Amino acid sequence: MAKSDDCVHILQGLLVFGNVVIGMCGIALTAECIYFVSNPHGLYPLLKTTENSDIYAAAWIGIFVGLALFALSILGIIGVIKASRTLLMVYIILMLITFAFEMASCITAATHRDSLTPQLLLKQMLERYQNSEPANNSDSEVTKTWDELMLQNHCCGVQGPSDWQEYTSAFRRTHSDADYPWPRPCCVLDAQGLPVNLDGCKLGVPGYYNSNGCYDAISGPVNKHAWGVAWFGFAILCWTFCVLLGTIFYWSGIEY
Amino acid sequence: STMLPLLLLLLPAAHGIAQLGYRPALTRSPPLEGVTTASTFVVDQPRCIFKDYGNAVIWLVVALDRAASTFNNTAGPGTPETAFQRFPDPVRAYMTLNATLGSYPCPKPDGDITVLRVGSETSCAQDASRPTCNGPLPGPGPYRVKFLALEGSVPVAETGWSVPITLRKAEPPSSISTTGKGHSADMVVITTLLSILFAILLAALVATLFWGSDSCGGSSTFSKPESVTVRRYNTHHVYDQPAARL
Repeated sequence: MAKSDDCVHILQGLLVFGNVVIGMCGIALTAECIYFVSNPHGLYPLLKTTENSDIYAAAWIGIFVGLALFALSILGIIGVIKASRTLLMVYIILMLITFAFEMASCITAATHRDSLTPQLLLKQMLERYQNSEPANNSDSEVTKTWDELMLQNHCCGVQGPSDWQEYTSAFRRTHSDADYPWPRPCCVLDAQGLPVNLDGCKLGVPGYYNSNGCYDAISGPVNKHAWGVAWFGFAILCWTFCVLLGTIFYWSGIEY
Repeated sequence: STMLPLLLLLLPAAHGIAQLGYRPALTRSPPLEGVTTASTFVVDQPRCIFKDYGNAVIWLVVALDRAASTFNNTAGPGTPETAFQRFPDPVRAYMTLNATLGSYPCPKPDGDITVLRVGSETSCAQDASRPTCNGPLPGPGPYRVKFLALEGSVPVAETGWSVPITLRKAEPPSSISTTGKGHSADMVVITTLLSILFAILLAALVATLFWGSDSCGGSSTFSKPESVTVRRYNTHHVYDQPAARL
């Protein structure tokens, strides 16, 4: 039965290789999700107030799934080499549970991308930016985040400065339209943080105000991360599917 | 022949006010983001229009659209009849932004932005002692404007009325509809494929648990590594037999 032995050894080799890849991908997934959760672009307050922080939940799940995949891959390698039915059954059950969690994380990340629309951000910005009667602490966080966003990315509003003209807002209640057609961070500022030409900014002269909106600066990084979590997770799951099928097949052939 | 110059001199006096062909207009060049806001608008300065009136003071008259035709040129600026603070009710047209010809040098230097922002003075909007205040406009309009040149208190020249200018009206944020634009292809693909994969895995697990299966070349089981089989044979007290290979 040399043929059967070869077949077994090939299957064992494949499964060990598959588990090694799963282990490495698990580490990579954990690293990617930790990077995202550490909030490198400072956008978390905005997403939290727009109830769009599911992407962060998906990333947190991703961290633990990644560690679980790494641990389980080691268990799998041991189980395959020792051909132990109990170890492999434990491995299969735990892997299925991890598979389900990672599925949830991927779907959440993919769904999130659809819900971060400009209209939602616009509504939140108009209602909360420079809100003089903040309902809770999050409004001042939103104001701070928007100010930093507009200063660093040289942008104004969600789609442009005309957001502040087309809609009334919490900002408009405390700042008159004639003095502040749009907030001061929308002006081109000098090194001291003062507008280079305040009249030019109020008039909207090209060169003295920021004419583009901030939507790209927000959705760009967030969508990139959501894409990473969703599709990398999906790729890992496809590979895990193959390894698990092979393991179930291998397990069914082990004698008692 | 001497009568002719006399007649010509008399004619302006008889008409009173010179009608200049110019009509004030919203600034088109350079394009300004704030050319109209909710309470201000921007018109071009009247450069090279009032060349012959070096002694006059040039005022801007801002009127409600329907009151433009009934505006009386002899109404003086700075009086209660033309005070900004009483605009739009009962005053239907006010006068503001006075300047002499020196403020509007002709010709206009290239590259300079020569505009007048109507509605930019917020400090005097409620101050009745400043009736010529250039305060923010109280509503979306429409409004019409013209320039009027006064020498002393006598109007000597005027431009035509502008076309009606309507300001921007702001909607409340609650009017923004945030219903989703549906699900993208990404999400549908991921959900469907993953659900199918998960279902297949569960089915495979259930199938092997309940039915077992033949594997790897037809024999029902394959031998385990040496150490385990030797242990098995130990229980039968057969020490020297090697592991039986089928």
